[in-house]
Amino acid sequence: MTTRLLRRLAASLIVVWLVASGTFFLVALAPGDLASKMADPRISPAARQRLREHFGLHRPIWKRYVSWLTDTVSGNLGDSFLFRRPVREVLAAALPNTAILAFWGLFLELVLGLALALVQASKPHSFWDRLLSALSLGAYAMPTFLVAAVLLWLFAYTFPLFPPSHMAEPQAQGLSFGGRLAETARHLALPALTVGLTGCGAVARYVRGSLLDEKQQAYVLAALARGCSKRRVLLIHALPNALLPMITVLGLSLPFLVSGSLVIEVIFSWPGMGQVFYAAVTARDVPLIQAGTVLVTTAVVAGNWLADVAYSWADPRIRR
Amino acid sequence: MSVSLGFAIACGGKTPTPPPSPVAAPIHGGQVVVAVAQDISSFNEYTGFAESTELAILDLLFPSLLIEQPDYQQHPPSFAPNLAVSWAFSQDNRTLTFHLRPNARWSDGTPVTAEDVAFTFRVQKDARLPWSGQEIKDFIASVEVVSPTEVRFHFSRTYPYQLMDANDGHIVPAHVWGKIPIEEWTHTDFSRRLVTSGPFRVASHVPNQTLTLVRDPAYWDAPKPYLDRVIFKIIPDTGQQLSQLLAGLVDVVLMVPPREAADLKRHPKVEVVEVPSRVWGYIGWNNRRPPLSDRRVRRALTLATNRQAIVDTVYWGFARLAKGPIPSTMWAANRNLQPLPYDPAQAAALLDAAGVRDTNGDGWREWQGKPWTVELLYPSVNTLRAQAAVMIQADLAKVGVRVQPTPMEFTAMMARQEAGAFDAVLSAWEEATKVDLTSLWVTPSATTGSNNFMGYSNPEVDHLVAQAREQNDLDKAKVYWYRAQELIVEDQPVTFLYEAVQLVGISRRIKGANINPASVFFNLPEWYLEP
Amino acid sequence: MKGGPRRLRFGLALVGFELTLVVLAPLVLPNPHAIVDPRGAGLLPPFSRVFVVTLQDGTSFAGLELSRKGEVLALRRGSSWEQVPEKLVVSVKPQWYLLGSDTLGRDVAARLVKAGQISLSVGVSSLALAVTLGTLWGMAAVLGPRWLDRLLMALVDAALALPLLFVLLAVSAFVRPSLGTVVLMLGFFSWMGVARLVRGQALLCREKPWFLAAQGLGLKPLRLALVHVLPHLVTPLATDATLRLGDLILLEAALSFLGFGVPPPIPSWGSMAAEGFEVWRLAFWLPVFPGLAIALSVFAFATVADGLGELGRGERIAGEAA
Repeated sequence: MTTRLLRRLAASLIVVWLVASGTFFLVALAPGDLASKMADPRISPAARQRLREHFGLHRPIWKRYVSWLTDTVSGNLGDSFLFRRPVREVLAAALPNTAILAFWGLFLELVLGLALALVQASKPHSFWDRLLSALSLGAYAMPTFLVAAVLLWLFAYTFPLFPPSHMAEPQAQGLSFGGRLAETARHLALPALTVGLTGCGAVARYVRGSLLDEKQQAYVLAALARGCSKRRVLLIHALPNALLPMITVLGLSLPFLVSGSLVIEVIFSWPGMGQVFYAAVTARDVPLIQAGTVLVTTAVVAGNWLADVAYSWADPRIRR
Repeated sequence: MSVSLGFAIACGGKTPTPPPSPVAAPIHGGQVVVAVAQDISSFNEYTGFAESTELAILDLLFPSLLIEQPDYQQHPPSFAPNLAVSWAFSQDNRTLTFHLRPNARWSDGTPVTAEDVAFTFRVQKDARLPWSGQEIKDFIASVEVVSPTEVRFHFSRTYPYQLMDANDGHIVPAHVWGKIPIEEWTHTDFSRRLVTSGPFRVASHVPNQTLTLVRDPAYWDAPKPYLDRVIFKIIPDTGQQLSQLLAGLVDVVLMVPPREAADLKRHPKVEVVEVPSRVWGYIGWNNRRPPLSDRRVRRALTLATNRQAIVDTVYWGFARLAKGPIPSTMWAANRNLQPLPYDPAQAAALLDAAGVRDTNGDGWREWQGKPWTVELLYPSVNTLRAQAAVMIQADLAKVGVRVQPTPMEFTAMMARQEAGAFDAVLSAWEEATKVDLTSLWVTPSATTGSNNFMGYSNPEVDHLVAQAREQNDLDKAKVYWYRAQELIVEDQPVTFLYEAVQLVGISRRIKGANINPASVFFNLPEWYLEP
Repeated sequence: MKGGPRRLRFGLALVGFELTLVVLAPLVLPNPHAIVDPRGAGLLPPFSRVFVVTLQDGTSFAGLELSRKGEVLALRRGSSWEQVPEKLVVSVKPQWYLLGSDTLGRDVAARLVKAGQISLSVGVSSLALAVTLGTLWGMAAVLGPRWLDRLLMALVDAALALPLLFVLLAVSAFVRPSLGTVVLMLGFFSWMGVARLVRGQALLCREKPWFLAAQGLGLKPLRLALVHVLPHLVTPLATDATLRLGDLILLEAALSFLGFGVPPPIPSWGSMAAEGFEVWRLAFWLPVFPGLAIALSVFAFATVADGLGELGRGERIAGEAA
């Protein structure tokens, strides 16, 4: 067991190293650097050169790679070129915001998806089943920015129920803890709903499919024969088994908690990782890009691993 | 075109900036919310590179010695007192003395002194910092503290822009920032070391969310500022900025897209101020690459491009046809210049003469027997440029020139420009208030580097520009600038497209705002709210 | 299990309808690239009509209203009336905008149909790429030695973790954006899922008695793969692929939003939606129609996938009962 775990860990480290190195060379070889982004007429070519030297961009690529690698291994993430602060601080500010939005977004996605699936699976092929599946697929099939635009138009501008952007009003800093919580919840509503609406269709499809599969199983028939109500059979017997594939889906969603969605963050002025990443990429902010990549890759690998572990724990059949 | 189906609809740029209306007496109180697209990258200008909005916000926190006035229509900009109350040049023009305001205070109560000015100068010249403006201070040899309120700048030579160069940059607090070793500046979070000297001080800064400024009661120019609070709300999405302006959640939007401006103007609570900017758009041709190296070809491409249609359609009339390399709002602009006409027939003739002909009868012109395609680069997120690129493609197709519009990520596009690996770029340039054609139009030399990525080279222009730069007499300088502009327009190293107008959306409840090309926040301390 | 075939038929009918529209409608619609006097004919709502006035020198103008006063023709462009002497006019033609016009006065209906051709063919080609690559990868992982399986799956993880934005950047920086590069990028970002699916399904096959028997007979891995595993993958792959097609069309929309989609002036549903999103406050129909077109296609493909899935399930159950 321990050797298996260690082996898996080693493989994961290799994956992280592969991806981070790949990104390093991708960014280093891509045309343009921090200095070429500066299009200001005040900036003379000499100033550009000075910027390059200041951030060590004039050194040969392999030297930069080696110093990045040694720094990272020793736990030093370096300083962001763009924000001129330690990368650690930049990430520490953005990460919690992304995690909050992603968590509640995924939560809504799951709850909505499950609710839809249960209603649909209780009477498969009925009118309601068809309608709901059409609607949830419709939301799934809409580009995210359009769903966001519709939500904003409806619930922020036509009926101003929720604030259209940001995590809190500037005055909110003076509020009590409870007040701040309510403030965040209000601001979270529309972006989280956007995540939930665009994702629930997929969840509903998975769960509905596996619920229908489970309904064919002998144990369901047996339960029905024992006189259990249809609802009870669906909820107590079939649902837990039907949820198994969701573990994998959730595991694959883990990276979303640290990477965030650029489109949603831009539209709702949400100060998360998506925006930080985008800014870092356009400025070729190598330390920030590298740190972000290591973080996201780790999340991907960890998500896979967690899904496997959870799966074998939940379903002893696949344990070997 | 034989008929002018006149463009009778009101065009942009006609409405002058509304002067501050001193109808009612200004009153204290209230807050104004300004939408900005991105957060401030650092509170310390000298740690790197600041964009124009960021500089405008820093102007409010760290005033400079003087305020540059936006009066460059007739002469180079003049200056008004700020931290310095007066200034004087010595007889030989090599020494410039500033007298500082005795009652100016940092937000911690310490007076602003000549020490701060000298410290700032040392910082500006420090080679360990990547400040992009270092070259501006090249001819200032030293700064000498005479007394706490008197400071002297010693120049190594005399030239027309000494005062402007001495004034450039924000004065920063020596008694606080001087304690941080310079080596640590580029990774220090200066938002935690904020001691400011402007009309407003920073109340809070939530990264990528809001920057809240509050009135500084100790500001020297009492009773200003009138507003209690100015909140900069970071909203990256333009659509959201506008919706929030209309919903009353935001009071100022700095850049209204032209297509929305007409619509916004109909809204009773919002005013759209048209500010003529020094930004002009162009198609930069690669002057090193045949057949674009042939002046006839470049002129033909300009003649074949319906620039007025681009101004009318893409910019909805909120722009003017550009005539030459210096924006028409500036004193050095040659007023006799005329834009090249839209004349596809003449363009076709010029292309034929230059040997760019359709030899195989497929409707497209070839160059030296091979198909010729001009790849037109533009930044991928700029939808206005994307529209313009499509229009240019359609226009040039009419004279048989094939254009391939290619959207590119901005930084990558700049890198291709620098490397000279392009045919054409759709781009824009902002002329500095210090008129100078050197950076863009003088033959690039291997040693000094240049922004002249087109590879344009005309020895006569080089000579004229060198003469003009050294000329202290304005009228004489004008002669050189005028001739240089004529030559550049004749050569058409770029196709001059439009002069932009900045559209500022502002809530009508704000009074006293004088929004001008220097900065939207030029007189922010004088803004007040309708009672 | 009669839901299966009926669903399948309904889904196929929808797809067929869409394909017919996309292929045949260009015959009656105007040129999707033609820029018509944007000042007079830009941003018009659905069911608008303009008059296009062409002059002797080849220039043309469009206006919403037309009136003749003696020798002079007056045309309303936007909010102002403008006049031309009648003798200079070569032709006056009415033009209908069924679904409105975009900022450059191009016909939205025509562009929507043209964009359909592009989006669907980009979707199908990138899907083909992803399925081919993913199937090869997954099969190689299952049938090769154990270390190869580990390596290949680690590479799948790595590819999943590689941030989309960088690859987009690198690609857009090195090659000129074109339909081909978009297909390559979309394909490159979707094969991993297929590889995992194929590996999972093939692993199931490997436990089955008939596979063990075939293996016992000493068949070569290639033959095992082609004859004994691949046929069992067809149904799950087909189900997965139809759904994935919708995802690819959506991904193209996201790329367009970031400015890395199909380069202009070629329209795609994604780029039309992204461009329209910029002006939704002025012309809501611009983002809505392409959005609906994407939704309809994804719905159609998902219905086909459902139908296929239920058909497969029905067969399986029938087989087990037998």
